[in-house]
Amino acid sequence: MKGNEERTGDEDFENLSRCKKGDIDAFELLVKKYQKRMLNIAYRVIGDYEDACEVVQDAFVSAYKNIKDFREQSRFSTWLYTIVVNLSRNRLKQIKTEFQHVEYSIDDPLITDDAGIKVEPVSGNPSALEILERKEIQQKVQECINSLDNEYREVIVLRDIQGFPYDEISNMLNIPEGTVKSRLFRARETLKESLKKMIGDL
Amino acid sequence: MECSNIQEKLSAYIEEILSPEERTLFYGHLYSCHKCSQALSDLSKTMEYIKNLEGVEPPPWLTQKVMARIRADAVPEKGIIQRLFYPLHIKLPIEVAATIAIAITTIYIFKAIQPEMKLAKAPAEVITSEEKAKKDVIPQSPPLAKGASPRSYQLGGQPSPQDPVEKLSIEGEGGFITDQPKPAKKPELFETKKAPEAPVQVMEQDKTALLTGSVAKEEAKRESMPASAKSKTALPGEKEERISFTITVKDIETAYKEIEKTVTQLGGKVIKTESFENKNIITIEIDSQKMNELSGKLKLIGEVKEVAALYGLKGNIVIRLEIAKF
Repeated sequence: MKGNEERTGDEDFENLSRCKKGDIDAFELLVKKYQKRMLNIAYRVIGDYEDACEVVQDAFVSAYKNIKDFREQSRFSTWLYTIVVNLSRNRLKQIKTEFQHVEYSIDDPLITDDAGIKVEPVSGNPSALEILERKEIQQKVQECINSLDNEYREVIVLRDIQGFPYDEISNMLNIPEGTVKSRLFRARETLKESLKKMIGDL
Repeated sequence: MECSNIQEKLSAYIEEILSPEERTLFYGHLYSCHKCSQALSDLSKTMEYIKNLEGVEPPPWLTQKVMARIRADAVPEKGIIQRLFYPLHIKLPIEVAATIAIAITTIYIFKAIQPEMKLAKAPAEVITSEEKAKKDVIPQSPPLAKGASPRSYQLGGQPSPQDPVEKLSIEGEGGFITDQPKPAKKPELFETKKAPEAPVQVMEQDKTALLTGSVAKEEAKRESMPASAKSKTALPGEKEERISFTITVKDIETAYKEIEKTVTQLGGKVIKTESFENKNIITIEIDSQKMNELSGKLKLIGEVKEVAALYGLKGNIVIRLEIAKF
């Protein structure tokens, strides 16, 4: 899906150098480039659009502050995504403790507020009903994701939604590839079960 | 392969990471097991749903907000540093102006305290030259007297209670020029060094008003005055105390010889003899301690009348002896 656009290391090098020298305008280019993907990661992990927007801002600001510490050993994008994953995780923990209950129960219909979300148009000309159905299903899927443990969420989002290769996920989450896979397989199973409950027959 | 095994391996199968042998076994099982094939189907569909999740678009203000926050964080630091290190074209004029201001202030202060520095030196001079009975006073030359505060004056002479009296008497007299006699006086001062009791005093500045102009006059007077700690009535124009006796005798010449003899016996001497029609005036110098004896002896010679007598004197005294005939 979105897996193979990671060859941007060279492209970012020039901007990065400028940023390190204090060129704020150069950083803006990087923000515009990566903000969408950053937001999608944050949104799917956290499950809330507004929270995701805030987390993405925090991630970029944090990245700029620490840009002098970034060494070109890893890719800039990976570094950026790692920041947003970490902040998303933290935000999630925060939300859960605020709400004081840890588990989303699938039996309770939790409706996430999608009112302001712009969604990518799908190819073809879907009817209004189809659009609505699609939206409903997606909402439910997200709810199921929300019901997963944090660890499972991350791997599902990064691998099955964002399509990152296993080695990159391993870097981001700072766990070995084997752990990434086993976690992912278990996450899928759990999600399958909750989705079946949610939707019925898949 | 058992159903439980299959469940575990479904994802692996989907990811195509099963070994060829495992895959064969897998197929075999699935073919006959409805449950597991259903499970595989469900899993595949789940992953489809996930992948079909549409991406969300970031709000249009997101970039702006991010940049605004970054810029807001960056600015204050620069401001502080800029404040500390102003560009050179601003800094230099300020520094030059400050240096000039300091220099001017320093010069002004130095000028203001200069006279005080001279005054501070003056007392030191007084103390060092204390051996001299009389001090030379240097009144300020007119231009200096106007501007700066005058130096302290030093005077040798009578104790303070006497001073006002003497000053008054002196000021009444005129004719002394302040500056010129000074050099001439100096040798006089040393020559006419008087009795050791002459105290040397340092006069305070507040008497300078009186002293200026009249100091030299006073000096002249003091020189000629006989110094005595206890003398009360000093006769002007004389260095030593003068005593007068009048002795009335039958025969002047005889008396004169007797007196001369007596004086010599007592260790005195005749300084002057004046002869008149009916009297002689002998001026003798004698030690004051012998005065009583002399007085006694004189009474043997004739009738003694003291015109002016002083007792308790010390040192040599001059006696004016008037010999008169009956």
